[in-house]
Amino acid sequence: MGTALADIRRKAADWLEVSERSRAAEALAGATSTADAGTGTLPVLPALRELLPRAGLARGSVVAAAEFGLLCLALAAGASADGAWCAMAGVPEAGVLAAAGLGLVPERTLLVPDPGTGWPQVVASLLDGCELVLLRPPPGHVPAQIRQRLEATLRRGRGVLVVAGDWPGAQVRLRVLRQRWTGLGDGHGRLRACCAEVMADGRGEASVARTRWLWLPGEDGRVTAAEPLDLPAGLPAGPYRPAELSAERPGLRAVSAG
Amino acid sequence: MSAPPPRVMVLCCPDLRGQDATVVTARRFGRVVAAVTGFCPRVEVVEPGVCAFAARGPARYFGGETALATRIIAALAEFGAPALASVAEGLFAALVAVRQADPVLVIPPGQTTAFLAAQPVSALDAQDPATESGADLAGLLTRLGLRTLGDLAGLPASDVASRFGAAGETAHRLARGLDARPLAPRPPPADLSVTQEFDPPETLAEPVVFAAKTLAERLHAGLAGRGLTCVRVQVKVTWADGSHSSRLWRHDGLLTASALADRVRWQLDGGPAQAAPQKDGQHDGHYQPGGIIALRLAPDQVVHATGQQLALWGETVISDRVARAAMRVQALLGHEAVLRPVLSGGRNVSDQVTAIPFGEKSEPRLPPDRPWPGRVTGAAPGLVFSAARQAEVTDAAGRLVTVSGRCELSAEPARLAVAGDPPLRVTGWAGPWPLAERWWDAATARRRARFQLATEDGRAWLAVVQDGRWLVEAGYW
Repeated sequence: MGTALADIRRKAADWLEVSERSRAAEALAGATSTADAGTGTLPVLPALRELLPRAGLARGSVVAAAEFGLLCLALAAGASADGAWCAMAGVPEAGVLAAAGLGLVPERTLLVPDPGTGWPQVVASLLDGCELVLLRPPPGHVPAQIRQRLEATLRRGRGVLVVAGDWPGAQVRLRVLRQRWTGLGDGHGRLRACCAEVMADGRGEASVARTRWLWLPGEDGRVTAAEPLDLPAGLPAGPYRPAELSAERPGLRAVSAG
Repeated sequence: MSAPPPRVMVLCCPDLRGQDATVVTARRFGRVVAAVTGFCPRVEVVEPGVCAFAARGPARYFGGETALATRIIAALAEFGAPALASVAEGLFAALVAVRQADPVLVIPPGQTTAFLAAQPVSALDAQDPATESGADLAGLLTRLGLRTLGDLAGLPASDVASRFGAAGETAHRLARGLDARPLAPRPPPADLSVTQEFDPPETLAEPVVFAAKTLAERLHAGLAGRGLTCVRVQVKVTWADGSHSSRLWRHDGLLTASALADRVRWQLDGGPAQAAPQKDGQHDGHYQPGGIIALRLAPDQVVHATGQQLALWGETVISDRVARAAMRVQALLGHEAVLRPVLSGGRNVSDQVTAIPFGEKSEPRLPPDRPWPGRVTGAAPGLVFSAARQAEVTDAAGRLVTVSGRCELSAEPARLAVAGDPPLRVTGWAGPWPLAERWWDAATARRRARFQLATEDGRAWLAVVQDGRWLVEAGYW
């Protein structure tokens, strides 16, 4: 009797896992199976693969994005859709609805909006439970000692730390060079999609800079690679520099590009 | 059927009786009560000149109810206060009996109902002076042919209640020898909490955690012995300097003794609530505020243990690993610091996600499956500012753009300056989309016009005009 019950339980658990996995696979939009799951990378959305050296987020590594935004959420979405737990620390304004549209599963997400002054310990605790932790460190310089301690924690576990901000030791650095929203006219329309040029560089195998045009998000809410022919008109010629503005309006004070 | 009320002794001093008691008689009666207190400490003054107390204890001590009454009367006679005494089941019966006492009338146990049944209904005015309808009701009952309390007690209670109301119901209960109100039997809540004190104060964490495990086993045994479990458990740690830390942990009957001990350890990591934050790297088990003197585990929201059913599907199973990590962070920052988002409904971007503390039931604040006309459709913003940021939207000439009550724009927006940032040229815009919310409630009513603005840096914003001010609620990037 007891063994029969245990058998049923195990079958149900297997079934659950299979259905969960298949849903995750759907969310990955027909991506090829992540056969090497568990061997060292967390899966990412298919459109982001070409940007990352191992077509995924290397476990135990730090990935830095220049600032918090849809790119950070997109980085977390792939792993979350594949069944990983994600935590977001220090980002009270994270748009969970947008993240869910990109593929993040809210049920497997923890939010720690304000980790306080003891944030390194909070992040270390979160890394014990979650495979991906998205962190925006408090403004200011993060002491090298704290960085190294967190990186050591990271290497012991199997998690990935996505930092929204500056992190000198990051294996991969990503940033949006320029972007443009489509769908808005002069007084009509609504925001539909955003075309963004994303650059990735970093250390080691990521040291060659790669640049890709992405729909972040596309009209269907997913992240896809943008074909050059589809790029909207009126894209800025290069990365945006606020200094141009002050040149145009001499009355305003000059603002540094940093 | 209610149990008969306990036996009550009533003492009546006819000389001191009466509603028009003067100060002198009141003072004399005060001395009488003080003298009675020598026999029984808990004396209740029913009205001037009459007092009552529970007879069982003193009667056993002084060798019987009659002996007790005789002794009290003898003691009062020395004051010059002749008294009458009666003993019966319930205050009302004793008050009726004391009128016939000479000087002592003891209704034997079990015969109170028979004694009352023989009394005329006019005896109802002996009930608490607080209920003054006794005399009126007695007259009415007599005219209806109900001459004795036995006649009244013979009627069905529901009929008496429907004919005479609350007063009739009370009279009926009294006539049957019951108390005026049915007892609401509520046994005092058992104290299920467990406490361990440390003397001398314990400065190391390990012995406290070890003691916590034993305590948790005692707590669980106490709960299980009553067929109970608790939703949460409160862990309270007291330090020698008086500071303490008290925290509630989700339990749901799921925590084993060692899991509960883990919670205690995490709570100790956080240190006392009032103490200064410890410097990093000092978490080696030594606590500054002079050691721990007491550890208390108290079950919160005790419920009947009905067992646990594991979710088969439809619910994300939280693995132990994640739960442990989340609770560790909760131990550091507090219960409300770790949240789980739930997509919900609502017309504003900030309403569309409900964040619920980890461990609590995930339910959206506004149901997501309603149409919510007026919500902003299209792409969702990547940033939803927890507090809307001040902004200024100006037209090409630099004047502030305003929206009239009829939703007309004063001019096309040309520049957006979000508080703290340099102004940006607007490259595309849409709106205004009016939204009047909760107009039926003056306190929460809001009239707003919303815009989507794209700026030259490639980003886009959700801006709102409310009361003539511009706010930025969300950012698209």
